[in-house]
Amino acid sequence: MKKFLIAGIATLMGTSAMAENIGVSMALFDDNFLTVLRNGMIDQGKAIGVDLQVEDAQNDVAKQLDQINNFIASGVSAIVVNPVDTSATQAMSDAANAAGVPLVYVNREPVNVDTLPEKQAFVASNEVDSGTLQTLEVCRLFKEAGKTEANVYVIMGELSNQAAVVRTKDIHDVIGGPDCGVKINILDEQTSNWQRDQAQNLMTNWLSSGAAFDGVIANNDESAIGAIQAIKAAGIDMGSVVIAGIDATQDALAAMQAGDLDVTVFQDAAGQGAGALDAAIKLSKGEAVEKKVYVPFKLVTPANIGDYLAKN
Amino acid sequence: MSTTTHGLGGLKYDPSRRARAPEWNVFFALIGIVLIFELVGRIFMGDSFLFNTRDNVDAIFNHQRLQIIILQVSITGIIALGVTQVIISGGIDLSSGSIVGATAMVAMSFAQVAMVNGNPNPKAIFAAQGWLDLPVIVPVMVGLGCGLLAGFVNGALVAYTKIPPFIATLGMMVTARGIAKWWSKGNPISFPTDSYAAIGKGMMPVVIFVGLAVLFHLILTYTRYGKHCYGIGSNEQAMRMSGINVEKSKVLIYVIAGLLSALAAIVLSSKNLTAQAGMGVMYELDAIAMAVIGGVSLQGGRGSIIGTVLGALIFGVIISGFTFLKLDAYYQEMVKGVIIVGAVVLDQWRQRGRGRG
Repeated sequence: MKKFLIAGIATLMGTSAMAENIGVSMALFDDNFLTVLRNGMIDQGKAIGVDLQVEDAQNDVAKQLDQINNFIASGVSAIVVNPVDTSATQAMSDAANAAGVPLVYVNREPVNVDTLPEKQAFVASNEVDSGTLQTLEVCRLFKEAGKTEANVYVIMGELSNQAAVVRTKDIHDVIGGPDCGVKINILDEQTSNWQRDQAQNLMTNWLSSGAAFDGVIANNDESAIGAIQAIKAAGIDMGSVVIAGIDATQDALAAMQAGDLDVTVFQDAAGQGAGALDAAIKLSKGEAVEKKVYVPFKLVTPANIGDYLAKN
Repeated sequence: MSTTTHGLGGLKYDPSRRARAPEWNVFFALIGIVLIFELVGRIFMGDSFLFNTRDNVDAIFNHQRLQIIILQVSITGIIALGVTQVIISGGIDLSSGSIVGATAMVAMSFAQVAMVNGNPNPKAIFAAQGWLDLPVIVPVMVGLGCGLLAGFVNGALVAYTKIPPFIATLGMMVTARGIAKWWSKGNPISFPTDSYAAIGKGMMPVVIFVGLAVLFHLILTYTRYGKHCYGIGSNEQAMRMSGINVEKSKVLIYVIAGLLSALAAIVLSSKNLTAQAGMGVMYELDAIAMAVIGGVSLQGGRGSIIGTVLGALIFGVIISGFTFLKLDAYYQEMVKGVIIVGAVVLDQWRQRGRGRG
């Protein structure tokens, strides 16, 4: 009932003023990352004076499609969708396209991303960037320490997960490419399934082999923190090793402030939300937008950590 | 099924049957696996699995590896102690891993510090209530309370509604995982007090695991409760006819299993300095596998704590051995599965031989 009232009021306001009216369907509200994204979008909407109607699909594909059809029926000027299921986006694209309403997907890459119709786009961060930024910074730190050759361990996320596969590939690409400038040998690479506990055990097992190493590159912060806990337990000086993660979680930032974590990468959730809204508005005004808009990942180091403490 | 229980006669306790303890076979398997890793390591890696090969350390064994072998299985091992009792009594507990997740979340939220690096704790759950920097006894008791409650529900469902333990604990598995996710809406809970962090620090998980293993070995061997576990598992009807309150015993068995899962959650979240809704996923299966490898029969009535501890050690040796040999991550799970099934097949063959003899 409340939803209908809000929808009704929003429609009234939308028609009375000639302001843009954007419908937003989020996959779910109670996800930390998606909440930051949603708030980023709402803040951007307030800043530029656009009416937003944000709905929660509660992880239900059917409900999301209904919401989109309702948006179309109530005459919104554009729709932003954070897809529940990335393989179920074709129907959404078709519905919006048939009605001539612009549609922007945010954060999760739709299955039809390469065949999106006119007036549709995808806004997210390019997963390839995260592992690349991370590994390049590790290279730089090794160079700064005056090393020409370094041994590292690689902790991978869940082997079946696309992000883990891409991030691990990035590590190999940077190490094997011309940009690193330091010869990096991977002593071993194993999975921790994104879990801190498994990373901790894995690192302790590696330490028990006694091989000298200069750093650990992990696919996510939780794994990097697990490695840190194991290395500290073994009494190794954290200043002598480089530890790199991805995500810039609060735990990771605390570890960085404590001087344990050296590198992490921030995925700009609020930036993606704002970017999606901007793209939707441009499309509704008939302006051209790239089919894939990438909001850059950002490198977080002890030098700029202050900018990120309040962000995730 | 009939061959394994053939001739045991329910409550009849025949000391001569236990003279050749099956635990010895598990022990020999453990030694065998260690030898294989030692041999393969020497031949292909030019390094020793167990012995110290570093010049800068003066020791016979590689202490660090010996420690991690047991450290990495001690938390699932604590769970396996409870699972062993459940399986011996003819039941099964699929909910342990989810109880770990839910308990870790709830307990950790009562163990948080107020300030992190000079800033207010960004993950504080009860900041508004001011429940921060509480004495360590609070999260521990709250955590154990969660385990007790979950175990009681499991036990009561199994004992009084008569639904199969598989279904009752499957329900708890799904529900408890739901609670773990709902508690903080999926957000991790971090930054515990120093006193809470001390519970799982260093080799403490091993100390707790070994201490509890000794305790429950004595309980299962020498107390009436222990005899009831074996009795219910081998012949529940006979137990009932002997006037034993089977229902009460069953509830107690599941309560103990729930408490041990909760304790594992406290140790795990303390060791990791964080609680996450996904913690403990698949732990129930690892715990069951440890018990089964250790000779605990899924048909009930047979098995021991010593066997389960040996089963846990085999698990630990395999994990460390794989990493030692730098076996590709993709192969590790495949091989692990083969070893679990292989251990049970060997055990079945051995049992069949014993049954005929």
